[in-house]
Amino acid sequence: MANTLQTPPPAAPKAEKLVAPPAARRFAFLTDRKLALLFILPALALLIFLSIWPLIQMIGLSFTDYSATRDVGYNIVGFDNYVDILTSSVVHERALTTAIFVIGAVGLQTFLGFTIAFLISRRIKGRGAVTTLFLIPMMLSPIVVGLFWKFMLDTQFGVINSFSDSLGFGRIEWLTQQRLALFSLIVVDTWQWTPFIMLIALAGLTAVPKYLYEAAEIDRASEWFKFRRITFPLVWPLLLIAVMFRAIEAFRLFDLVYILTGGGPGGTTETLSYNVYKVAFFGFDTGRASAYGILMVIVVIVAAQFYLRYLNKLQER
Amino acid sequence: MKGRFAVSASLMAMAAAVTLAACGGGGDDSTAPADTKEVESALSDQPMDLTFLWFEWAPAQALEELGKEYTKERPNVTVKVNTVPNPQWHDAIFTQFAARKTNFDIPVLDSQNIGEAVENGSILDLTDFVKENIDTSQYDPYFLAAYGQYPQNTTGEADPDAKTYGLPLLGDTWAMIYRKDLMGEEPPATWEDMIAAAKKCQDENKGMSGLAFHQAGTGDAAAVTYNTVNAIYGGELWDQGARKIDGVINNEAGKKAMDVLVNQMVPLTPKGSSNWFIDEVNAAISQGQVCVGFQWIAAMGGLIDPASSELGETKEEILEKLAFAPLPGQVTDKKPLGGMGLHVSKYIPEEKQAEALNFIKWFQTPEAQKKWAELGGVPARNDVLSSPEFLEAAPFNKVFTDSVSQLKDFWNLPEYAKLLNVHSTQVNAAISGTQEPDAALDKLAKDEQAILDESGGE
Repeated sequence: MANTLQTPPPAAPKAEKLVAPPAARRFAFLTDRKLALLFILPALALLIFLSIWPLIQMIGLSFTDYSATRDVGYNIVGFDNYVDILTSSVVHERALTTAIFVIGAVGLQTFLGFTIAFLISRRIKGRGAVTTLFLIPMMLSPIVVGLFWKFMLDTQFGVINSFSDSLGFGRIEWLTQQRLALFSLIVVDTWQWTPFIMLIALAGLTAVPKYLYEAAEIDRASEWFKFRRITFPLVWPLLLIAVMFRAIEAFRLFDLVYILTGGGPGGTTETLSYNVYKVAFFGFDTGRASAYGILMVIVVIVAAQFYLRYLNKLQER
Repeated sequence: MKGRFAVSASLMAMAAAVTLAACGGGGDDSTAPADTKEVESALSDQPMDLTFLWFEWAPAQALEELGKEYTKERPNVTVKVNTVPNPQWHDAIFTQFAARKTNFDIPVLDSQNIGEAVENGSILDLTDFVKENIDTSQYDPYFLAAYGQYPQNTTGEADPDAKTYGLPLLGDTWAMIYRKDLMGEEPPATWEDMIAAAKKCQDENKGMSGLAFHQAGTGDAAAVTYNTVNAIYGGELWDQGARKIDGVINNEAGKKAMDVLVNQMVPLTPKGSSNWFIDEVNAAISQGQVCVGFQWIAAMGGLIDPASSELGETKEEILEKLAFAPLPGQVTDKKPLGGMGLHVSKYIPEEKQAEALNFIKWFQTPEAQKKWAELGGVPARNDVLSSPEFLEAAPFNKVFTDSVSQLKDFWNLPEYAKLLNVHSTQVNAAISGTQEPDAALDKLAKDEQAILDESGGE
């Protein structure tokens, strides 16, 4: 029988109060929370003053008739800048050009990028070297790319036309004929950025579990069936992320237009970004250019939101 | 406590520094002197760079070479000419003006950009300086007005009461370059004769095109071409007094000029040349691809350089094939005014402004102007323009001297950059066939009128 009237054991002797070393005592006020804040502050300050503050200023300027070069004040014009831009026929034309470019370039890049990645993923000989070679265009500056393509595509002095002329096909106006000029922009952008899609698609392809293919082979599934039911569905979400990045980049295309066509012929290859540049720097309509830029940001954010929701749903499935 | 204070103080200092950086001290031009008299007395003997900003072409290199002559006078000064590609020229200067801080002392402005720089308060008023230091009687009044005065006189000539913001650096106009070995020594007498001769030459010489000229929609390439033809056919860009463009530029003469340009001249140009500017026209002439070309005189030096020409192995051989003449007239004998002026940035220290003014004063002396001509520049002083040093320096220099009295410029307005954008885009649209000539001209007139009306200036 247990003795319930047992006296409790004596309490453990109280530990001596812990004393921090002198160096630590000096920074005792730096709690973990404060320390974390201190580490974050430099990056936060950069973000605030280089991105968030200019964005806030830009939003403010978009409601004014401010011009960066004029030594006079500015007036608040409300939504006038936004209305002007949204109702401008020039902006509508540039938006259409941009849309054609985005759909054409990103579509072509996705098709080619995925195809090349699929071929490379089939364990071809020298796969590493081929992958590296394919990546070279992506590493070049768009201005350099634009310049050498401009020289190559020139109707009179370009090597491509000299070649086609020598073969009897005559000279083609790659950069000076309305439809061909936009097509040339798509081709050059595709040449440079297909490797980006290829790289992401390749990452997706190599991540597909092998046991799925083994199971399919046991079931004597055809190559087409394996592609349609295993490869493509598993790579598709990753590919969509690459497409989103490329679409955002293509939407704000400026450099290639600036170098290759200068927006010509007759302004038919002017994209929205190129047009913003003209508004901002030809006469320095800073207020209007700010509103134009804000509208472009809104378009990208809204489109990206819808896109990401679709992506999430796809992944939930 | 001490540690806490140190960290807090550092954070405060960092925040203050970032705030100051963000505010940027923009708009602080308090160092700008009230007038140029104060500036002139501030010449310094300290070593310094006197920096120009221009676009990349041969005269820019010649100017840097000329700067060495200035260094002989002022040994503490080194002249540097920074250049940017032509399409970025305006932006490179005006974005720095916008920041109220310039890394150049002397911006070389296109004559039409003066209005924008003056309205924004970015360049020094040189009126008193010019009155006291420059012999203006030695200049064609049109040069003084075009390269320096704002607002520009409605007559196009210098107004003695107008304010002056610059002086000529480089005079320029278009010259006609033609293949005398294929077309004969005598230049065509009229514009229509020129078109007919170019067509004949094209038909007779397989593989050659009749004409080459500036057609690009960037810069002022296509715009100058249309303005030239427009002026030759008696057209006007605008009614300055009434501030009217729509109904003036697209009147009968304007439409005739556009028709001649698009339907008679463009078919004689090489295929795909609707994006051509200075370099491409020079290349086409040097490679023997065209019978007649139009080019700015200041950009023609390379045409007689055997190293860049397929027309001959020596300059003499090239000159057996090429000849140069003033543009033929038709309804009028007007020629486009090119060239640029020297100005002084308001956003530089006083001693730099003093040095810049001193350079301008030196540059306008006959000796410096002759040296300038010798190096390939086009001077503006009458005595130098008719001097043997200039006339014999290049085979096309006489064309400029002969053209001076017939020059005609664009509008000189603060809205110039916007107007030019519309002008170049629409003319290029007509040239490249993306729009019908009349429709392009009407759109050009309507859009430019809207810019002018919106600005509401006088």
